[in-house]
Amino acid sequence: MTIPIVPTSQLVSAHGYLDRVIEELRVLESPQKNTLVNVLQYLSDHIRITRDEIGALRTGGANPQMFSTTADELEEIVTETARAANRIMDAAEAIEQAAAEAPAPLATKLTDAVTNIYEASAFQDITGQRITKIVRALQSLESKLNSLVCAFGPLAEGESAQGRDGDEALLNGPQLEKNASSQTDIDALFDSL
Amino acid sequence: MALKDMRVFIVDDYNTMLRILRNLLRQLDINNVDEATNGDTAYQMLQRTPPDLIISDWNMQPVTGLDLLKKVRSDAKLKHIPFIMVTAESKTENVVAAKQAGVSNYIVKPFNAETLRAKIASVCPAMV
Repeated sequence: MTIPIVPTSQLVSAHGYLDRVIEELRVLESPQKNTLVNVLQYLSDHIRITRDEIGALRTGGANPQMFSTTADELEEIVTETARAANRIMDAAEAIEQAAAEAPAPLATKLTDAVTNIYEASAFQDITGQRITKIVRALQSLESKLNSLVCAFGPLAEGESAQGRDGDEALLNGPQLEKNASSQTDIDALFDSL
Repeated sequence: MALKDMRVFIVDDYNTMLRILRNLLRQLDINNVDEATNGDTAYQMLQRTPPDLIISDWNMQPVTGLDLLKKVRSDAKLKHIPFIMVTAESKTENVVAAKQAGVSNYIVKPFNAETLRAKIASVCPAMV
């Protein structure tokens, strides 16, 4: 028996190829064919089930724009918080200017309060970086899901390996608070190097 | 040289953070502050007018703060300038990489005014 090899990475083509092999095996008279046919049929059935499940993703009401919409909304949060932070800063700078004309004890109190506002305003930078990380994760997930749904094939070689190396591997953004190093930790580490 | 005469260059891709840094520096009587929002522009500006101190974020694209630090340290005209990294990247490997690249000190975000003052004092003792 000669079966033409169809070079493709697409699951849909591979499935058709598998079914053709099964049909060609069925007509053989070899006594060992049944075991092989059963195994191949088992594989074929599972591929069909998987295809149906992925097909349901396309037709089952899932919004294909869900990820990009969510990413857009998260980016909007970054924009809005930046706007809010700048308004807070406008107000703090106005207080600081007024403090310069106030009597000494009051001026000191006002300036200290303004310093606290400046420090606290850094939240926008931290939350912005965290949200950006989430947006990138969503975009990556969206890309992979689209590949799966549209091409219906396995991930391209190397696509699953998202490992970064060199300096790029050092860019991880803010750590979660429970894992984060404090300034004291950083100082101790820095001094030990 | 006194703090008020000190020329500081700050780099961060978040305008809000640049504004925070500028305000906190002003409270330290440092008013001579230049700024850039990415490492590439920063390097060009630094070459034109070398400052007394560089304070840079790490996580910027396409030229990161670490890239900028390496460029500064390999530039004969700039390599002597104190360089403080101010970043949310707080893993051990980050601090090690920055130290190996020649960073003068390291501030982890979020930070407070006293930490900023202390780090400036540590890298520019003659000015504080």
